[in-house]
Amino acid sequence: MISEFTTVEGRLPAFYTLLIILGGFVGMAAAAFFYVEIYGHGVTGMNNKVVWGLPHIFAIAMLVMASGALNLGSMSTIFAAKQFKQFGRFSAYLAVALLIGGLAVLLFDLGRPDRMLLAMMYYNFSSMFSWNVILYTGFMMLCLLYLWTMFEAQKYTKVVGSAAFFWRLVLTTGTGSIFGVIHAREVFHSAITGPTFIAVSLSSGTAVSILLLVATYKAAGLEMDKKLVFGLRNALIFFLLLVLYFLFVEKFVKFYSPAFYDVETWILTGPLAWLYWGGVILAGIVAPLGILFNSTLGNTVKGVMWGSALAVIGEFAFVAHVLIAGQSYPFNMFPGYEVSSVFQDGMAATYSPTLPELVLGLGGVAIAGLIYLLGIRFLRLLPEKAVVPKGWDVPWNP
Amino acid sequence: MTMDRRSVLGLGGAVAAGVALAPGVHLIAATQTTEASGSSRWAMLIDVNKCSSDCNACTDACRKENNVPLFGDPDRDIHWIRKIEIRDKEGRRPTVSLPVLCNHCENPPCVHVCPTAASFVRKDGIVLVDKHRCIGCRYCMIACPYKARSLVYFPTELPADGNPDVPIRGKGVVEKCTFCVHRVDAGLAPACVEACDKASEGAMLFGDLNDPTSEISKRVREVATKAIREDLGLKPHVHYQGL
Ligand code: SF4
Ligand code: SF4
Repeated sequence: MISEFTTVEGRLPAFYTLLIILGGFVGMAAAAFFYVEIYGHGVTGMNNKVVWGLPHIFAIAMLVMASGALNLGSMSTIFAAKQFKQFGRFSAYLAVALLIGGLAVLLFDLGRPDRMLLAMMYYNFSSMFSWNVILYTGFMMLCLLYLWTMFEAQKYTKVVGSAAFFWRLVLTTGTGSIFGVIHAREVFHSAITGPTFIAVSLSSGTAVSILLLVATYKAAGLEMDKKLVFGLRNALIFFLLLVLYFLFVEKFVKFYSPAFYDVETWILTGPLAWLYWGGVILAGIVAPLGILFNSTLGNTVKGVMWGSALAVIGEFAFVAHVLIAGQSYPFNMFPGYEVSSVFQDGMAATYSPTLPELVLGLGGVAIAGLIYLLGIRFLRLLPEKAVVPKGWDVPWNP
Repeated sequence: MTMDRRSVLGLGGAVAAGVALAPGVHLIAATQTTEASGSSRWAMLIDVNKCSSDCNACTDACRKENNVPLFGDPDRDIHWIRKIEIRDKEGRRPTVSLPVLCNHCENPPCVHVCPTAASFVRKDGIVLVDKHRCIGCRYCMIACPYKARSLVYFPTELPADGNPDVPIRGKGVVEKCTFCVHRVDAGLAPACVEACDKASEGAMLFGDLNDPTSEISKRVREVATKAIREDLGLKPHVHYQGL
């Protein structure tokens, strides 16, 4: 049923324009990196309270999205959704691209990136970070292997694809646990942080796949059956509802224990409440669901694109909310007391990102974009004609 | 202040550890400094009743001793030890002023999370950062509930009246109170404790909890002491009296 895989024609001026633009972003990110290297992190908006800022939001959002990008592959390899089998190569490749983009930002924002070799030589196995390094490396290997089997040795695709699927669940639990295991921070500390990150990865990975697939097919003048987009729309709806469910359970449990009243009230009504209500809930869940469930908008490719774009924005807002709110809420060193000091004890933190951080983050996106572009240009990642198997129809429409 | 000199002598190879922290000595620092004798457990006891709110002798002395700069940027200044004021929300107690520093926790989350093991606990309980191994990821700052750690946000240099025996603070790495490990290894008390004594406040006591005859051991047996956020299970080793 799958037509020939093809490379996307690279002679189009638009392709080269895009390459140059993305290259420009990477160049600017390199400049920002050296600027921060030379003058120190004082030129960023990060401070002694908000020590992880915009670069980390970009990095973690991309890493979370990377594991979700594998959805299309997993759906076909493991869940036998045959209509998506043709996107398996695209899916594994996109996961690698996003992973590299995210890791690059993380690496370039270290206080001492020159010591990366040390980080590879000394592993502290009690550190969630060390675990994540292993998980990311393993995930990348598995994705590349998965990709290779799809090209060369399809009899292994199922087993490698299953391993990659399992690995990505562990991986995203690991990413969530960077926060979840931190006992000292009330906003972070929770056993449900890992699963919530998984749900967010499922939704954002599906959303970014929809956006890229539709855009690529359109730009390259290739053909894609709309039913495929609507099939993915349904998956996206399910994943968004899953995110909503996890968020609800977390708030429910936390509001049930008086120890969390203060911090939860602060999250929902404090200075960063806009990020939660506006970014995570409204832009990231309610608005895309509203569009996707709408019988007019939800049944157009444009509508699904809008829903997907909002879901991606929502993912960034979610990561930003976890990170910034988590760090801004003041440590409660003396419960029952008001605290003050020259080190701003007792005060909520403020954080305003600066240009170098934004440029660094966008540089990571550009790296992922470049890898993607080169991939579709030189590897046969996409079917020439994306059609559905005979007799298959979208099981549900709004 | 008092520090039990007998136990200091017992530290054996620990002086070498002080040398290892000196500038120019590189990656091996962590291994050497963990070789301090395990027979001591250094701790601090702070009597908040003796600590007056207008005294900053400890924080000033720490800055001078350890070349800890002030950048004039409250968001990014480095504080190894800071004075905190706490006010009872219900007004049942007068405002209390006390110094807060790294608690040299028995179960330090900063050490657990550090990916390169740049943060480590010496056998005598002093928690240190090997600044030549720290990659500046700042995860330790996220994990420490006492806000005891600061990233060095700007390049620094040795101040005119700085201490040449202690390295300058390293840009891009995370640093914090060392309990003045170089002094402890030389049989001296931390600079803050000495300064507190000189200022006739006498609020800070430093010593070896493993030595039952040390003054700090006796005091923690005799008076009620508390640590900050004991509920977190980190077993902090800065104890407070009168909190
Ligand atoms: S007080 Fe903070 S920095 Fe010091 S040992 Fe404990 S967790 Fe680590
Ligand atoms: S910032 Fe340095 S000391 Fe802190 S966790 Fe990272 S590597 Fe370890």
